[in-house]
Amino acid sequence: MRIRDSLRSAVKSLGHGKTRSILTMLGIVIGIASVIILMSIGQSAQDLILQQVQGLGSDLIIVIPGGSTNSRLSSPAQSQGIVVASLKQADVDALSREPSIAGVAAEVRGQASAIYQDNDMTVTYDGVTANFFAMRNFGIQQGYAFTQSDIDSFNHVAVIGSSLATTLFGNLNPIGKLMRLGTQSFRVVGVLEKKGTGAFGIDQDNMVVLPITVAQKQMLGIDYLNDFIIQANGAYNIDFVKGRVQTILEQNHGITDPNKDDFTIETQQDILSLLGNITSILTLFLTAIASISLIVGGIGIMNIMLVSVIERTREIGLRKAVGASDKDILQQFLIESVLITLVGGAIGVTLGAVFVVAIYFILSTFFAIGWVFAFPLSAVFISLAVAAGTGIIFGIYPARQAARKSPIEALRYE
Amino acid sequence: MIVVKDLKKDYAEGDTVTSALRGISFSIDKGDFVSIIGPSGSGKSTLLHILSFLDRPTGGLYAFYGKSIDDMTDAELAHVRNKDMGFVFQAFNLLSRLTVFENVEIPLLYSDVPPADRRKLVEDAVQSVGLPEKINTETGKLSGGQKQRVAIARALVNNPSIIFADEPTGNLDSQSGAQVMGILDDLNQRGHTIVLVTHETYTAEFADRIIRLKDGGIESDAPVGKPRRSKDQFFK
Repeated sequence: MRIRDSLRSAVKSLGHGKTRSILTMLGIVIGIASVIILMSIGQSAQDLILQQVQGLGSDLIIVIPGGSTNSRLSSPAQSQGIVVASLKQADVDALSREPSIAGVAAEVRGQASAIYQDNDMTVTYDGVTANFFAMRNFGIQQGYAFTQSDIDSFNHVAVIGSSLATTLFGNLNPIGKLMRLGTQSFRVVGVLEKKGTGAFGIDQDNMVVLPITVAQKQMLGIDYLNDFIIQANGAYNIDFVKGRVQTILEQNHGITDPNKDDFTIETQQDILSLLGNITSILTLFLTAIASISLIVGGIGIMNIMLVSVIERTREIGLRKAVGASDKDILQQFLIESVLITLVGGAIGVTLGAVFVVAIYFILSTFFAIGWVFAFPLSAVFISLAVAAGTGIIFGIYPARQAARKSPIEALRYE
Repeated sequence: MIVVKDLKKDYAEGDTVTSALRGISFSIDKGDFVSIIGPSGSGKSTLLHILSFLDRPTGGLYAFYGKSIDDMTDAELAHVRNKDMGFVFQAFNLLSRLTVFENVEIPLLYSDVPPADRRKLVEDAVQSVGLPEKINTETGKLSGGQKQRVAIARALVNNPSIIFADEPTGNLDSQSGAQVMGILDDLNQRGHTIVLVTHETYTAEFADRIIRLKDGGIESDAPVGKPRRSKDQFFK
């Protein structure tokens, strides 16, 4: 029997039991739609995260305290909540003298309540060096960024995030206002441009940026630094610069065995590949969960096809009597189940796409999240292939049952 | 065309073996119109199933055009059923959700007839049973007589050399039965071999020859006195 005839016959027989066909398809529709939605959300999240990391700039190197024991997936001590005080001002000075390094920005970080009149909010504050704004691409929307002389003179000035400005000052112009941060007063001199949640999970629109001297000595009372951001000199290869940073810090810290480094150096590329790995694993995991519904849908199809084979026993007998071979019958039933799953798959892909667009629309309209629209075409092809595969895998058993029927017994079936 | 020697068919169920055919022998020539008749349980349906390649014997020889059924695979049997044999059943066995055209077309789907030639073959077959105006009607909406004529059209669409009819008038009123027998008679006149199974003597007498079965054996095998019964003499 020609494939075209089988297909025509399958369309006819599925069309005959429309309600049943649609209900049978439902499992596949839901399964494929969830796979599509989850793959797409995973892709979007990955793009969003990577995009933020890329916002750092490809020539930036980040140094954080604590060794990473050379394992890509074990997190540095600091991110596990352990205070590591290995980075010092002396390191910054040494790194600044290195010709392959264009600039070093140091940071300290803390949390405190920001208060203005009746408004308050717990915020993360960052004590930074003057070159920080340029190196991190932190634009100033209003006012100005503090300068080296503010840092040197321990001036209590602050640059604040745009959301925080609204929370604390409402419609008032924040520039020149005195706000309290913890126990100290700061004059707001600048407001940052809107930026969204940053690579380290800090909401940059709600942060307070202070002169590093004030934050380190007066707010935190510490002598170490939380991290360095190093800008490589464009004339040098980034990996070379990374190696230089490591050598300089090891010399400064008196470390001879690189496995015992008390700091971790990450380039943008390192972070990208790590985050890329994590989000890929997450996406895979979510997709695997969604695939369970596909298996359930497949079993539903097998069930219905088995019922259909029994119901159509006489038809099978008749077809065999007039010359259909086992192969013809197998092909006919297999094409029916593949057709169900493929149509279900196509509906699922469409439904998934509608959801993905809706999610994008809702997130970007109502939540002002810089959600990235991603609809991986690979997901469509994979889904349709999986749908067809489901049809074959779960259709083969009923189809074989049909093909094996003896024509004479099938014709006698009541 | 058909040679049967010492043909046996046993059905085993558990420890008990039932013999449906106990070693029968006869032959049928091309162009014959043979009736196989006998009471229920005589083995006539079993014999028809074996003759029409729907079942295999458990003993003896059955050769179709000189080739033994024992030497043929199931796929080869299916091929011969499609090319050389036509089937008419008591219960019609039409697919009621398909149209007359689609039902008659079914054997062609499994043949090597190119799709382009199918339409004419189906139309000719439907024309020859006198139902051209019903060609696009679903068979579920036809009367019993019309259904059996569609079944005959389906049986002859591949232009088979032999048509097996299993109680073709069993579910029909006299008038429809007469029509069906008339068509079979015509087909025989045009050279098709017909093997008719029935338990009604008056239907059997449309044939040239009657093989009478009893308890799995041949009770008699004799020609019908000429002239054979015509469709005008069909009654119940």
